[in-house]
Amino acid sequence: MEIDWGLFGELFARTFSFWWVILPAILLGLIVGAIPGFSAANTIIILLPMTLAMEPEIGLIFMVALYASSRMGAGIPAILVNIPGTAGAAATPLDGYPMTKQGRAQQALAISFVASVFGGLLTTLIALVAMPWLSQVAYHLHSVEMIVIMLFGISLIATIAAKDTLKGLIAGFFGLMIGYIGADVVYETPRGTFGFLELYDKVPLIPALVGLFAVSEAFAVIEGESILTKRGMAAMQKAGWKETWEGVTMAMSRWWHIIWTSIIGLVIGIVPGAGAAIASFVAYQQSKTFSKTPELYGTGHLDGLVAPESANNGVTSGTLIPLLVIGVPGGATAAIMAVVLQYHGVTVGPDLFENQPELAFGAFTAMAVTYAIMILTVLPLARYMSKITVVSTTYMAPIIISFTLVGAFVPRAYVFDMYLALAFGVIGYVARKTGYHVAAILIGVILGPLLENYFLRALRISEGDVLVIFSSGIGNILWILLIISLFVPMYLDKRRQRQREQALPTTTDC
Amino acid sequence: MTDYENDVSRRLFLKGAGATAGAGALSMLPIQMAFAAAFPEQNIQVFVPTRAGGGADRNLRAFTGVWKKYVKQNFEAGFYPGAAGRVGYETYMGKAKADCYNLIFGNMGPEVLNWVVKKPTFPLDSYFYFAQVDADPACVFVSSKSKFKHIDDIIAEGKKRTLTVGTSRLAHPASLGALVLAQKTGARFNLIPLSGGRNTRGGVTTGEVDFGVLPASSVLRKKIKVLALFDDKNPLPKRMPDAVLTNDHFKLGLPPLIAGARAFGIKKEAVEKYPERFKVLTDTLQKVYTDPAYKKAVVKTKAPWEFIKYGNAEDCAKYVKYVTDLGQDYRSLLTGKKKT
Repeated sequence: MEIDWGLFGELFARTFSFWWVILPAILLGLIVGAIPGFSAANTIIILLPMTLAMEPEIGLIFMVALYASSRMGAGIPAILVNIPGTAGAAATPLDGYPMTKQGRAQQALAISFVASVFGGLLTTLIALVAMPWLSQVAYHLHSVEMIVIMLFGISLIATIAAKDTLKGLIAGFFGLMIGYIGADVVYETPRGTFGFLELYDKVPLIPALVGLFAVSEAFAVIEGESILTKRGMAAMQKAGWKETWEGVTMAMSRWWHIIWTSIIGLVIGIVPGAGAAIASFVAYQQSKTFSKTPELYGTGHLDGLVAPESANNGVTSGTLIPLLVIGVPGGATAAIMAVVLQYHGVTVGPDLFENQPELAFGAFTAMAVTYAIMILTVLPLARYMSKITVVSTTYMAPIIISFTLVGAFVPRAYVFDMYLALAFGVIGYVARKTGYHVAAILIGVILGPLLENYFLRALRISEGDVLVIFSSGIGNILWILLIISLFVPMYLDKRRQRQREQALPTTTDC
Repeated sequence: MTDYENDVSRRLFLKGAGATAGAGALSMLPIQMAFAAAFPEQNIQVFVPTRAGGGADRNLRAFTGVWKKYVKQNFEAGFYPGAAGRVGYETYMGKAKADCYNLIFGNMGPEVLNWVVKKPTFPLDSYFYFAQVDADPACVFVSSKSKFKHIDDIIAEGKKRTLTVGTSRLAHPASLGALVLAQKTGARFNLIPLSGGRNTRGGVTTGEVDFGVLPASSVLRKKIKVLALFDDKNPLPKRMPDAVLTNDHFKLGLPPLIAGARAFGIKKEAVEKYPERFKVLTDTLQKVYTDPAYKKAVVKTKAPWEFIKYGNAEDCAKYVKYVTDLGQDYRSLLTGKKKT
């Protein structure tokens, strides 16, 4: 696979000429991404008859634009009303929603858009030129290494627990226990399903996600008049274009943060089966680890919003790499795209670079052009989207509940999932009222089953040898990094505290 | 439910809808009354126990796209994924009316192995398969970069050390193929369920496992080499030139081990109550196989036409019994429970 800069230039120019396909795909992607339960994957399936009527190249551009924009769309309700549209946006409300409550919804949206676009654009360009080398990542990250990567994400529970250790750990372990409901991956023995067939394939993520975050939020906000604080309401009423621009400059000043967290997303996206949820939690955890102000995370910290949004958009281009280079899709949407292209008679895989390079490289140029068009399209909307936060909770709460219940139903079309969302809503509400962290529960629910999958697979491969988790060179390096990322912040915290204590008498002396 | 009306007729419908709506409303009434006894009078529902967008969906679209021409009604697919097909079957058996307007479209092998591992809530003889659509043999495959160039290399290595074998899930005909091969040759294989064909291909291609077993049609890719087929003949010798036939090569003496055998199933009660309706279904579906439009539709999806194979209710029953019996032989390995 040689880099042909001339071809890239031609492809970019050609892709821009399809703006009329990209623009509606972006709008559709933002809408389906923002509605919990809908996703690029199921929208592509629903629109199959339409994409089949298109030329393969146009169909591919449409799907890629839809995919990239839906990723960004999922962050919008996460920030505005604490409803992540997908599991990939589950880490976004941790700092996005507190910003909204403070009346900084417009800035939060602008930060999210800029981080998503530049994270996505950067990783797409990296993917385009470094595809052959990047694809090697998939050859080196197997079950053992993925166990450690999962632990990076799960260790967020410990970080959250730092404020109230017992409650944080209880919430985390409760989430992990819920995550283990369902059939085990080896013998498919059902565990804790209470006889419900609908739970055989684990607790479905979307009902858990919308229940814990959105339904419980709706129960909570109905107790007040607005989701905003008084000061937040005053700020929102005065807000104009200035706030959007402020958000843009805030995000741009964190350009380095966008770069490295989006690269985390790119690398995790390349691993088949890993996904945006893992990437966003790992990026958030790493961002907090290396932050000078880790105590501000969870209170509306800008870095805490930039990290997951850059990372989950980095995943988007990452999932296409294994699909195109080794013929194995990195995620569900990439797999569906491959199926649709197959209907067109296009076999997606390494052959595509030889037979139809304009399609193979075109997937990435389409993604890059989508991001470029997207920032111009979506940024002016931040001002208007943020207005939803001033709506009275009398209307907001029932709307949230209705939307989320529909969202819970959509992925599998089981009424059971709507009840499940309500049950998780009650759990989330009780957790909020009693000071247990909902995010800690959710991390367990999302990452627990993945950790179990990789762990059981590694154990099976090693024929039951637990020490297999230390059997890989790369895995061992990751273990060391994990230990460093867990203990260095604790050491730094202690040091800072000591310095503050030493500084205090001096100040008093003065 | 997904409507399988094709896009051309959808467009025609939209174009003509306005003009014909009034006239249609008036004229349809006597026509409907005149053919009240004809079957089918309404769309036929097909329960699919897998996700939309996968191989079953693709296969079903191609088949029903032509079948509807003969039954003169559309097919509506409802997807009920979960628990390796169990949710779909339980939903079909629990909710679908026994009236021949409700069918199930499943993959016989893996799905009947479910019942070997854990019995369903409905009696096993309350439904049966009546039309097999394809026959996709189980195969042994490696990455094109693998040191194994021939199935004998795998067996020789498997006699020295335990080899890891990626498979979609344990209760799958392809997994049974690997177990039979190990037993007959003395090689040691450790089956690693990788949750689906996509992950299994990934596990083999990226070197996490030594080799894999899957239905052959799912591994016809450039970076993958098929080394053995559990079939009596190689349906695609040009695309699988390195594949040996396990029966010939190792003298297994087994019937072909078909890993992908999609088929239409129906409730037994429906056939008993409405035999004439069932006859309409079976008579019309047989015409699909000889219709050039079907071949065209299959080829368009890039699925190999060579794997398309008709099998009647008797063929299906024979296959189900074979896989079930084989599954019972290896039940302890599939469930992790000791033989009782």
